[in-house]
This record gives sequence, C-alpha cells and structure tokens, in this order.
Amino acid sequence: MRNLLDFFIRHIVWLVFAFYVIVSCALLFSRNPYQHHVYLSSAGSVASSVYRTASSVTSYFGLRDINEDLQRRNAELEKEVLQLRHELTGFRDREYADSMKVDPSLARYDFIVAHVINNTIARPHNYITIEKGSLDGIRPEMGVVDQNGVVGIVNIVGPHTARVISLLNPHLRLSAKVKGSEQLGSLVWKGKDSRRAVLEELPRHAKFHKGDTIVTSGFSTAFPEGVPIGKIVSAVRERDDNFYALNVELFTDFSTLSTVRVIDDRMAAELREVEKEIDPEEDAHIQKAQ
Amino acid sequence: MIRTFFKFLILAIVLVLLQVTVFNHVCLFNVAVPMAFIYVIMRLPITMGVGWVLTVAFFLGLSVDVFSDTQGMNALACTILAMLRKPVFSLYFPREDEIGNPEPTMASLGAVVFVKYDLTMSLLYCFMIFLIEAFTFLNPLLLVLRIICSTALTTLLILAIDSLTVKRYAKRL
Repeated sequence: MRNLLDFFIRHIVWLVFAFYVIVSCALLFSRNPYQHHVYLSSAGSVASSVYRTASSVTSYFGLRDINEDLQRRNAELEKEVLQLRHELTGFRDREYADSMKVDPSLARYDFIVAHVINNTIARPHNYITIEKGSLDGIRPEMGVVDQNGVVGIVNIVGPHTARVISLLNPHLRLSAKVKGSEQLGSLVWKGKDSRRAVLEELPRHAKFHKGDTIVTSGFSTAFPEGVPIGKIVSAVRERDDNFYALNVELFTDFSTLSTVRVIDDRMAAELREVEKEIDPEEDAHIQKAQ
Repeated sequence: MIRTFFKFLILAIVLVLLQVTVFNHVCLFNVAVPMAFIYVIMRLPITMGVGWVLTVAFFLGLSVDVFSDTQGMNALACTILAMLRKPVFSLYFPREDEIGNPEPTMASLGAVVFVKYDLTMSLLYCFMIFLIEAFTFLNPLLLVLRIICSTALTTLLILAIDSLTVKRYAKRL
C-alpha cells in the first residue's frame, strides 16, 4: 500500500498529464458536431457576450461591400417588381374574373433576420455564431442565407444565440443542382479556398455550361428550391467516370458576413412527421419480400 | 504571491480575449495564424510545479477552444506544450539556479536565449495545433507552409507582447 502511494506521488506529474490528455482527446474525438454541448461552444452565454461586444465594433468594417451588395440586390428586386407589375396589368386587362388567388406555397417560408457575431473562414471546419436563439424561434437544422446566397445550417441553439455550420465546413453536404435542370449533386467544401466549393456526384448526362448558376434543390426543409449558391467555374470527371465534379465559385462572401436571414419552414414539422411514418411501412414491405 | 497570481490571471484573460477576438481572425496570406496566448504558458515561473503548469495550460487551451469551436484541440496542444516547457527551457538555459527572476522574459534570460526559447515553443505549438487540425485534410505542402508562417508570426507577436508587459512592470518599480 505504501509502495503504491509512493509510486503515485513520484509519478504525479505524468498522471496529471495523462488525465488532461485523455480529457482533451475525449472532447476532440467526439466527432459528431451535433452532440457538442452548448456551453462548450461559441453559442454559450460567456462566449456569445464577448463576441457580441467585439462584433459591435467590427460590424462596421465591411459596410461598404455589404452596401454595394444590397444596392445590387435592390436593383434586381426593383426590376422584378416592375416586371411583375407589368405582367399584373396584363392579366387585369385580360381577365375580369376575381379568380387571382395568392399561391399558398409562398406563405410556407418565413424569414428571421439575425446579426453574425462570430465567423471564421480559415479553419478546416468553420462555424458562424448569430445573435438570435430559441426565444426568437430559431431551431436546429434551419437554413441560413444572406443577400447573395446560401450561408449554412443552424446546428446548436442557445436561448439568445445559435451556432451555424458554415458552408465552409466539410460536415455540411448540401443537395444542389444546376439552375434549369433536374439532376442533383451534392455541394461540399474542400477546405482550401473560402470562395470555392465543389458540386460532386452530378450524373454524367447532366447538361451545363461554364458560368451557369448552381441553386439549392429544395429536397430538404432547410432551403426552398432555387436559392442561389454560386456559379460554375470548371468541370472535371470524377474517378469512376460516371459523375462530374464542378468547381463552384460561391456567391456569398464569407469574409464580410454581417446580417443573415434564417429560413423558417412552416411545413418542416409536418414534413418530418410524414416522412417518419413512411419508413416503418417500407421496412415491413422489405421484410415481406424477403 | 497573491500579486503574481493576479498578474497572471489578468495576463491570461487579456491574451485569451485578444486571441479570440483579434488574432484568430488574422489570417495572413490565408496561411499564417498567430497563436499569441501561449505566452502565458511560456511566462509562468520556471520554479512552479509541473502539475500546476499542466493545469493552467489545460484550462487556458480549453477557454480558447470554447470560443473558437475547436473542442479540445487547443487544450490538447497546450497540455503537451506545458509538459515540454521545462526540457526546452533547460536546453537553452542549463544553469536554472542562476536565474534572478523565475519568470522567463527577455529581461531575465537575455535576448538571444529568449528568442530561441520563444521560437522553439512557437514552433512546437504550431506544429501540434496544425497537425491535430489537419487530421481530416492530408495536404502536406499546405500544412508545412501553415506551420512555418504561423510560427514566424507567433514568435514576432510574442516578442512584442513580452516587450510591452515587461516594460510596464519595470516602469512601476
């Protein structure tokens, strides 16, 4: 017994060392990003209040670029309004009936505007912290966009803040397609350049040209169909020759991210319910067949 | 004793805040990230027990992790760095009992020894942190470039911080 105690006292330094290494490895190798605790992430109360203070200073830095983006977006929307007004008068002229109903699918999505208080672009796995949380209606797996395009997906939610998995994070794979066609691919970031990502697994018969726009597919509740992501820069054959991989230049400028919109899909709960109920039936069918 | 404790507490808080709000977002040429907060580990008195140095280093790394969403990455690297501190120190300064001030600064070690100590510690830390970070991306050239550039930037920044903090204490005396 005494020898054992002596042993512990003599090697206390190595024991302490081993203990800390094991604790940090346990944290490091819990690989699933969804399982991290809110207090050990930047959505925790201390971390978020520090970032809020810092962001109240730094949010002024990128205003010039953001202003330009907004102006451009504004111009586009104004053009669209004019065009729609023109079309509307055309319809009014042609139809006397009061059958013009609002498309119910337009009311499916709602937006929550949030400020970015922390953002990285240089790490292998990048995350964004925003200053809206569960009290503002944010829930995990909501999509996040800014005025230019897709930003990421909400992952950890605190009461007043939330952490978003940035598009610049290989944990995030986004279902996407070339605008105007129906073949799906999977968009993923390769960890090198914050302005480029790769659209993988696009079937070989898909048609596209350099400069075509890549948009979301709408096959998840996170993003509606047709949210712009980026444009095609170049294409390469994937290893097994049946798929294309497209290099995509992202529309979103992640280095000057400041205000984003979180997409609230009102049908998310319903869709989840419907899709959940299909699964056991399918399983039963498969079992019967066997 | 209590004054030293508070001095290090303030130094740690200030450096961690600077690290997460400023230095983490500095990314020179997309490769060099300064890791200035390891100055706290370097500056701890050399007479301090290794167990305590490990504890301080672990929690220092963990607090940077919490802010930058890196889950134990900095904590692991800091713990290993704290273990390597004493061997590195005695490599460049074998006559440990001759040191006047137990805190390793440029004033107490002399410029040449301190720069060597600083460079070695920065290199070790950058090597570990980028290696841990790079587990998922095997791109050796980029990795080496990142380690070298970040080491250079960290070393320079620590020299600057050292001259700032030591100068202020000297004036007070």
